[in-house]
Amino acid sequence: MVDWQPVYLSIKIAFTSVVIVFVLGITAAIVMRRLQFPGKAAVEAIMTLPMVLPPVVTGFILLLLIGKQGAVGQFLDSYLGVQLVFTPYAAVLAGTVVAFPLMYQSAKAAFRSIDTQLEDAARTLGASEGRVFLTITLPLAWHGLAAGVVLSFARALGEFGATIMVAGNIPGKTQTIPLAIYFASEANDLTTAGIYVIIISILTFLAVFGLNTWAGEK
Amino acid sequence: MLEVAIKKELPDFVLDIQFRVPDEILVLFGPSGCGKTTTLRCIAGLDKPDEGYIHYNRKSFFESKESIFVPPCDRNIGYVFQEYALFPHMTIRNNILYGAKSAQEENQPLFEKLLELLKIHHLLERSIDKLSGGEKQRVALARALMARPQILLLDEPLSALEETTRLELQSEFKNMQQLLNIPFVLVTHNWEEAQFMGEQIVFMDRGKKVERPDYFK
Amino acid sequence: MEKKVNSIILIVIVLLSIVGCSSQAMKEKQSQPIEVTVSAASSLKDALIEIQNHYQILHPSVKIVYNMGASGSLQKQIEEGAPVDIFISAAKKQMDVLQNKNLIKEETRKDFLKNQLVLIVPLQSKILVTEFAGLNESTVKQFAMGAPESVPAGQYAQQVLIKSNIYNDIQSKIVLAKDVRTVLTYVETGNVDAGIVYKTDAAVSDKVKIVAVAPEGSHELILYPAAVLTASKQSKVAEEFLDYLTSAESIVVFERYGFLVNR
Repeated sequence: MVDWQPVYLSIKIAFTSVVIVFVLGITAAIVMRRLQFPGKAAVEAIMTLPMVLPPVVTGFILLLLIGKQGAVGQFLDSYLGVQLVFTPYAAVLAGTVVAFPLMYQSAKAAFRSIDTQLEDAARTLGASEGRVFLTITLPLAWHGLAAGVVLSFARALGEFGATIMVAGNIPGKTQTIPLAIYFASEANDLTTAGIYVIIISILTFLAVFGLNTWAGEK
Repeated sequence: MLEVAIKKELPDFVLDIQFRVPDEILVLFGPSGCGKTTTLRCIAGLDKPDEGYIHYNRKSFFESKESIFVPPCDRNIGYVFQEYALFPHMTIRNNILYGAKSAQEENQPLFEKLLELLKIHHLLERSIDKLSGGEKQRVALARALMARPQILLLDEPLSALEETTRLELQSEFKNMQQLLNIPFVLVTHNWEEAQFMGEQIVFMDRGKKVERPDYFK
Repeated sequence: MEKKVNSIILIVIVLLSIVGCSSQAMKEKQSQPIEVTVSAASSLKDALIEIQNHYQILHPSVKIVYNMGASGSLQKQIEEGAPVDIFISAAKKQMDVLQNKNLIKEETRKDFLKNQLVLIVPLQSKILVTEFAGLNESTVKQFAMGAPESVPAGQYAQQVLIKSNIYNDIQSKIVLAKDVRTVLTYVETGNVDAGIVYKTDAAVSDKVKIVAVAPEGSHELILYPAAVLTASKQSKVAEEFLDYLTSAESIVVFERYGFLVNR
């Protein structure tokens, strides 16, 4: 009745994107919090860009970068013999790029809300920067970070425009739920489209509910 | 002996201060904004002076001529904050034990002693937001001392407290210092407190040491 | 005192602009051009814009408004009651659906343009393919085409590939795109070895070259039907524009962009 491939694919791709985005977003927030350097504002703007650009445009830019003629694409091809375009990895890349600004902004706000005096107190008590981060900064920022994860997951799960550009619509490899919904509705198969809509709604609900419960316990 | 001689450019003036603290309480006294807190933070390693030195016995925490700067976590200098800075996501017990260095068994005697001296035994299982200001400050002191600091810095530790609590804690701090016999540097803008606590009083204004003003003679 | 004067000045300015605007509006109502909305398949874009410019000069009281998109989406919009006067589809299917639902004025329907399906490769490509069956060669690792269920160009491509007896063999090489422009982009950027698009699309790009044209009979005729919709509120003016679109003057423009006339 319904093809479950897009569902498995979507879950795997969104999950991978969120994990990557979590690490990158927090790292970026820490680095930007600590460092001052010329051009910092420009870097901030670039990191926020995927949130502003239409996803299809983001996808097009990614295609230019990692495609056969792109700088990154050629590098990957010559040194690793790897092609990213039209593979699930491209879908992960698309999901990561569009979700990144959400995690970054959430992490930035979460860290900013922490009283620096608490971190200073920890330092005077002999905690190294690593220990300060793990025992003070991270636990206190947890709620903000969890919110970031929820946003990022939802965004990556629903990602369409950039994915379709750079990963294509290959059933079994890159056809995620949003793509399946689009093509089903375009082919006037509203039943299939409707079923996928219900599935993706349930997934989102589970993710949000699960994450909030887990974060709430901390 | 703690020896401090530092210079740091601040928005409104240049901080340029020198003093030496043997095993006693030195009070930094002056109006708000005169650089007292910055001085403390520099000693602790939370801020960095532009030039000068900070020595303790024969160790160097900061020496601008040789580009020496020891990070705060390695200086073993305790700090008591005006707003307590207790960790809200930890129990009182874990707050106090946060800076404890050695293994659990060795900490126990010191832990018990501090609880007794500061009369906070009954607070261990309470949550932080249920404590009074005075109780929080006692816990903050216990936490700082649990790390066995060689110097203790106190930044207006009592100004947020009401009169009776303040007087009580003043005596306790003084007793603590005599017990531990380490240098204390206390910042305050309360004259009675300065007189009571300080074996040495350094008057500060706009970043520099000044003569004792006539008013305070 | 100063504050009072400022507020009075402000009120006067606001009142004047309101009065000014409404008198302007009255003037406009009297000479307001009639808007004719045309929903047209994206592949007709460049030709249609040129024709629009010609028409506006000849008929300044008529304003042609284009709504371009995929034929399937346009058809759905009309079914859902979008206020459209003329529909030009890139395939018979969508127009037939509307006709069966009595949404078009049958007597105005003209299947007036034809297009051809071509096989393209990147301009710098060294692949030697001269016919659609060549897609089965090992030198072609991946090629792009529109998704048959939703993109008319994809349907025609599927028909050609079935006719060439290679459709089943090349399944693993296909990258399905949501529209022809995407197929074009993939070929232009070298991310696929080949692509199937309309001749009119290939003509627009200078980064691809045509290596084969689908022979007549290998696919359903690619017809572009146009018609006035029954719900049109200015059907007379719309019919006039449709006549112009299908006149000799306009056909010349269409041919210049690669379309063929359907006699």
